[in-house]
Amino acid sequence: MTVIDAGSVPRRYLALWFPLLSAERLHIHEGAGGGATGQADAPLVLVTRIKGALRLRAVDAHARALGMAPGQTLADARALHPGLVVADMDENADRHWLQQLAERCIGWSPRVTIVPPDGVTLDIAGSEHLFGGEAGLAAQADEAFAAIGMSVRMATASTAQGAQALARHAPLPVVDERQALRTLPVLALELDEDATLALRRAGLKTIGDVASRPAASIAARFGANAVTALRRLLGDEHAPIDPLAQPEPLHFEQRFAEPVALQASIAACFLDLLRKAAHMLEQRGLGGRRFVLTLFRSDGAHHRLAIETGLPTRDPASVLRLFDERIDTLADPLDPGFGYDRITLFLPVTEPLGHGQPTLDGDERDAGVLADLVDRLSTRLGTDSLCRLAPRDSHIPEQAQLPLPAIHAREPARWPTPPAGEPPLRPLFLLDPPQPVEVIAEVPDGPPHRFRWRRKLHEVRLYEGPERIASEWWRRKGGELPGNGGLTRDYYRVEDVRGRRYWIFRHGLYEEKSDPGWYLHGLFA
Amino acid sequence: MIAPPRFAELVAATNYSFLRGASHPAQMVARAHHMGMAGIGIADRNTVAGVVRAHMAWREVGGPGGAFRLAVGARLVFADGTPDVVAYPATRHGWGRLTRLLTLGNRRAKKGECTLHLPDLLDHADDLLLIATGHDQSALARLAKARPGAVWLAATMQRHGADARRLVQAQRLAAACGVPLLATCDALYDHPDARPLHDVLTCIREGVTLAEAGRRLLANAERHLKPPAEMARLFRACPQAVAATTEFLSRIDFTLDDLRYEYPREPVPEGWQPQDWLEHLVRQGGLALFPDGLPERYRAVLDEEFRLIRYKNYASYFLTVHDIVRHARSLEPPILCQGRGSAANSLVCYFLGITPIDPVREKLLFSRFLSEERNEPPDIDVDFEHERREEIMQYIYTRYGRERAGIAATVIHYRPRSAIREVGKALGLTDDVTARLASTIWGNWGDDVPETRVVQAGLDIANPIVARLKTLVDQVLTFPRHLSQHVGGFVLTETRLDELVPIHNAAMPDRTFIEWDKDDIDALDLMKVDVLALGMLTAIRKTFDLLRQHEVADLTLASVPREDKDTYTMLKRGDSIGTFQVESRAQIAMLPRMKPAELYDLVIQVAIVRPGPIQGGMVHPYLRRRNREEAVVFPSPAPPHDPDELHEVLGKTLGVPLFQEQAMKLAIVAANFTPAQADGLRRAMATFRHHGTVHNYEDLLVDGMVTRGYDRDFAERCYQQIKGFGEYGFPESHAQAFAWLAYVSSWLKCHHPAAFTCALLNSQPMGFYAPAQLVRDAQDHGVDVRAVDINASHWDSTLEGAGKDALALRLGLSRIDGFRKGWADTLTQARRDGLFASIEDIARRAALPAAALRKLADADAFGSLDYTRRDALWDVRRTPPAQLPLFAFADAPELGREADARLPAMPLPEEVVADYQTTRLSLKGHPMQFLRDTLTGEGVIACAAANAATDGRKVRVAGVVLTRQRPGKGNAVFITIEDETGIVNALLWSRDLDKQRRAVMAARLMLIEGSIQKSSEGVVHLMADRVIDRTAMLDRVADQQHLLRQTSRGDEIHHPQRSRAHGHPRDVRILPRSRDFH
Repeated sequence: MTVIDAGSVPRRYLALWFPLLSAERLHIHEGAGGGATGQADAPLVLVTRIKGALRLRAVDAHARALGMAPGQTLADARALHPGLVVADMDENADRHWLQQLAERCIGWSPRVTIVPPDGVTLDIAGSEHLFGGEAGLAAQADEAFAAIGMSVRMATASTAQGAQALARHAPLPVVDERQALRTLPVLALELDEDATLALRRAGLKTIGDVASRPAASIAARFGANAVTALRRLLGDEHAPIDPLAQPEPLHFEQRFAEPVALQASIAACFLDLLRKAAHMLEQRGLGGRRFVLTLFRSDGAHHRLAIETGLPTRDPASVLRLFDERIDTLADPLDPGFGYDRITLFLPVTEPLGHGQPTLDGDERDAGVLADLVDRLSTRLGTDSLCRLAPRDSHIPEQAQLPLPAIHAREPARWPTPPAGEPPLRPLFLLDPPQPVEVIAEVPDGPPHRFRWRRKLHEVRLYEGPERIASEWWRRKGGELPGNGGLTRDYYRVEDVRGRRYWIFRHGLYEEKSDPGWYLHGLFA
Repeated sequence: MIAPPRFAELVAATNYSFLRGASHPAQMVARAHHMGMAGIGIADRNTVAGVVRAHMAWREVGGPGGAFRLAVGARLVFADGTPDVVAYPATRHGWGRLTRLLTLGNRRAKKGECTLHLPDLLDHADDLLLIATGHDQSALARLAKARPGAVWLAATMQRHGADARRLVQAQRLAAACGVPLLATCDALYDHPDARPLHDVLTCIREGVTLAEAGRRLLANAERHLKPPAEMARLFRACPQAVAATTEFLSRIDFTLDDLRYEYPREPVPEGWQPQDWLEHLVRQGGLALFPDGLPERYRAVLDEEFRLIRYKNYASYFLTVHDIVRHARSLEPPILCQGRGSAANSLVCYFLGITPIDPVREKLLFSRFLSEERNEPPDIDVDFEHERREEIMQYIYTRYGRERAGIAATVIHYRPRSAIREVGKALGLTDDVTARLASTIWGNWGDDVPETRVVQAGLDIANPIVARLKTLVDQVLTFPRHLSQHVGGFVLTETRLDELVPIHNAAMPDRTFIEWDKDDIDALDLMKVDVLALGMLTAIRKTFDLLRQHEVADLTLASVPREDKDTYTMLKRGDSIGTFQVESRAQIAMLPRMKPAELYDLVIQVAIVRPGPIQGGMVHPYLRRRNREEAVVFPSPAPPHDPDELHEVLGKTLGVPLFQEQAMKLAIVAANFTPAQADGLRRAMATFRHHGTVHNYEDLLVDGMVTRGYDRDFAERCYQQIKGFGEYGFPESHAQAFAWLAYVSSWLKCHHPAAFTCALLNSQPMGFYAPAQLVRDAQDHGVDVRAVDINASHWDSTLEGAGKDALALRLGLSRIDGFRKGWADTLTQARRDGLFASIEDIARRAALPAAALRKLADADAFGSLDYTRRDALWDVRRTPPAQLPLFAFADAPELGREADARLPAMPLPEEVVADYQTTRLSLKGHPMQFLRDTLTGEGVIACAAANAATDGRKVRVAGVVLTRQRPGKGNAVFITIEDETGIVNALLWSRDLDKQRRAVMAARLMLIEGSIQKSSEGVVHLMADRVIDRTAMLDRVADQQHLLRQTSRGDEIHHPQRSRAHGHPRDVRILPRSRDFH
């Protein structure tokens, strides 16, 4: 859609271009190329694998000064500077960062547009005088971005496209806008590579060269798009800009004319806020994972209560119940004093949540019941106190399982099923650390005949083994070298004369160690 | 004392069970022998690819005469869930069943896989002894029923905890099916120390890191070979399982030595014996060459050759090669071909027309081609035009059938790059770190990752992870990775090939290959015929065609005038761009020193610029002797040995060993090698890069020579050279054939430069130089080169005019980047009705798509219509196809009148730049000429002036970078730059590289300051002190960004992997391109 400018107020646009956006984002976020890697002066490049070769996608100022440019292979770049720092291109992060940069501009103008992948345009008509005119505004922006470490090139023009083109292609500062636009290279039309090259081969190297030819001739050769781009650049035609939409934060508030102190009123207010939140969440298809309730007392003091859930939720009742649990566990009970005059609810963490539809047989409800229980116990006892065991893929028995906070380990883990008819190979419970035992056994790999544990002698009646488990050589320095891989364990399942079963191992083969020790690692039920 | 128990490990995998076994076949055999086993059985997963190597190792430890037995077979892995079965043939017949079974599985799967089902085995189980694994009662029962008395059940004690119970279960199961138990380790490696390596291989196979691999790794290191006493102890509850292993071995009555090879009968007519038929054909051929009867010398040589061929029974081999060559020549048009190799340099091959080289005239000793005592198979490689080799390959398949003809395999080994990448990944290193390490491996010459490379990459060798990577990479480097097809070595048999060796599908359609490589084939005395592709033969054939077509000359490979003075004069100048083998920069620098004056000089010339002679330090002594700067002396042994014993060996090369054969003879004559040792050395040289076994011969050779009184220094250099040959063996027999092609191509370049350049352009990609340099060289030799034009050009480049000196070279439409052959055909078809008169005329008559017209216009191909490039592209672009379909031209020949766009005229520099952008060369000028004034102002002289400057003069030269190379040991960088007057070869020492790395590596236009070094022969080098990047000037030429990005294929810095790229069979280069050195 084209909007013809009515001509009443001349439009003004400020274009910002971040030529090193990706690299500078990384510098800012991770200190890459800086102190963190210990290579303060190393150039930074960002790469992607394209057809099997790692190619540069973005560079920082240092790398650029060394002659590195996007498109180059990493091997070539390394030939220029072997010590360069390399990171993966992360387009999502860049997009997100550009969005944040654009949001910083909202202070200068409410109408801000993102020009992917690395530009922002501000509609500054009528607002520039607040910042000392265009120049003052540009100076402020320059300073603000320099302060966070972003390089930026800026230009103003009467069209958004013109401003971006000047920022990207014109020698700065621009004195005469019209003249500057006409001397821009044809590259500024942002046509495809083929058309750009053809224009230049035809001797039409600047926007002015193209503009001074009949539009019909240009359209016949390079399409109507070329003419439209030209007209927009020169301000003969306006394209509306699409300002940044800002989602409202999930922040809800209830103010009271008279401070409330009654438990019931406060609870009703909670519920009310949660319902409002639920409504908003449903519209956005989200569920909350973290809820923060703040109660402002009329004397200025405030209480903050936060709860977390294992699964995203927007059910007011269950969230309210969690808050109840939370309040119950407070060391100091809530003291409303003379009452609260304001209560706010904030949801800092949300996740997508579909529209729930309970099935007729109530399965979903059952899963929900366990999740509810986990949420409630975790809220009451602390997230680290309620754990769920997850299997880890390792031969080393004590590393084959891992306790995780239940609220984070949502799904019950899948455990390998032992072969049918086999006795359990491992005890359910392992001694940590294994306890040394004195053993009489046959060399080199015979089972224990008898062993002494906790000063008590056990005669072995039955045994099976050894189950030989070598150590994880790759965790040891130099473990790949012969004889350096660590001690191997020989495990035996033994039963003493009284029918009790033990899991005992010898720590080391006789080839590895002349006098290997024996340990009890667990008891079978 | 109790006699040690007798035991043989019968389920042993090797690293040919790719990414599962962690020891070489030879290691497994040697270790088993060392442990005192009764024997070993080698069985890899659905393959017998590694058994020949095991067989060779077995010969080393006694072979058929010794007490140690070797069983060879395969571990059959099924797709239908049946547990693996290890199969060993008991007889030759059984071997054939096994290979047919594997062939069946291979041919029904895609390349590299084998799909087998239990019924397949039951169908092919004759004479196979089977060891079943797993506890599948029904499968075991079916096997036992199919092969009563020939099935065993494997029992293992792998320390899994329940070993004893599993053994009892196995005993019950075996008893139920009536089969005996057989004790085994199911070994995956020879020694428990291989566990880290095996874990890494597992990670590579599973595509995980060590940290993630978990229980995909084995829990312990128990899958190694265990000594008989230990096996007896483990199986003390079931001693009969241990005893069963030797009983099993005693049932096997087959070794790979039983494989009898028979040549195909096809080439021999009914009623003839191969030897008689060969002699008949040879005599006929001799009669054609000597109509007046054979001279006495020839007759004597021929008789001796016939005697040897009969004695060795090789007649069929020569006939088979002859048959292929005959077929190639019988085609219309015939395919140019030429044989080479030791046996090709025989009078028999000369008379059969396999080679154009007369061995008597060239004084090639026939004894070189075959020797009675050495077990060297005859070697004939035949080169064909590279564009048409596939026709020959398909002929062979058709003539002999796929069950009788197959291409040999090439075992692809881990190379430093792939090893670093894959091992690094398994260790959890990022792509970036491994890429950094891999990128510093410049040449890949050695088998070891040198520490300096690691340090160069900015990594600390002391860092434990880097040290670990290095340790493991060094181990993996010698490992086979997968099988691929050989470039062109065919194995042909009289009986079924698939009863000799399994056959696989190749990745290319219509190709099948066998699972043994050339070393295996050698070891078993099978014969292979190498059918290779050579680009230069295509170019020579095209030159001959052009000369015939333009009635200049009618030539064949054999009839090119010999020993032509002008040709040698040209070569002495180092004027050899475009020729075969002597065109590289190092060769060009060498030619003025060698001053070739006869064909044998070229034989030496092609052999001398190679790693062997260079590493052996033989080049300079040879040159000094040749130029009479040093006396020709022959190293001699102490009395009582014959002081002249090396005269015969080294006589032709002035006492300096240059060829592989000489190194071999040296070992026999001077170091007193036995035939067996010499044979071992030959094999070691052939496979040096894979197994690094040459060093086994170092002491033998050096001590052998020193003992017999030779100078230790000379002996050491001989060894160094042999090591060099191992990397790129270059025998005289090949040099002979190549020298002839080098001569023929030089002769054509000298006498018919237009036709030769035209043929070279039409045979691209090939050779060392880009079309721009070839065209420029032709212009320098007075050839009139004409631009691409819609009214004159065909797809290929063509010749215009008539008569030798009036021929002009017209560039073809194929020179335009992105132009398609179909468009060119349409265009030339439409042009038959008369030349085009206008752009509309072309559009209407040729109906070319808009994209084609644009490419023509951009390439300035409308010159004959008096269109400038700019006007043409403006007019052609009018009416994009989406708005007005092309046929609209027909309806509206006159598009509506349009105002003149008043386009400015295109300045010459821009024309040149656009030429380079569209056709990669320009006939209008050189970009440097437009910068000449500026450069002169800075005191920069032209390349021609630099080459003419006096020795030692300080100069500044600038030019477009053609090539950058950092050969061999990497202590110097070679840079070639070009301007409108010529090229300059510069050399920069590596120590000076770091401070100007950016300029050296990145510059497209380079200004070099340095001093001129001129040899007495006039070879000029610029010894660079300083390199300045002036690329920005190029943009000034035409205000264009992407000028001259392309460099020639020799630019190793921008194509660092180039030297590895010739691996693909379709663009095979017979020998790796020589590396520069000085």
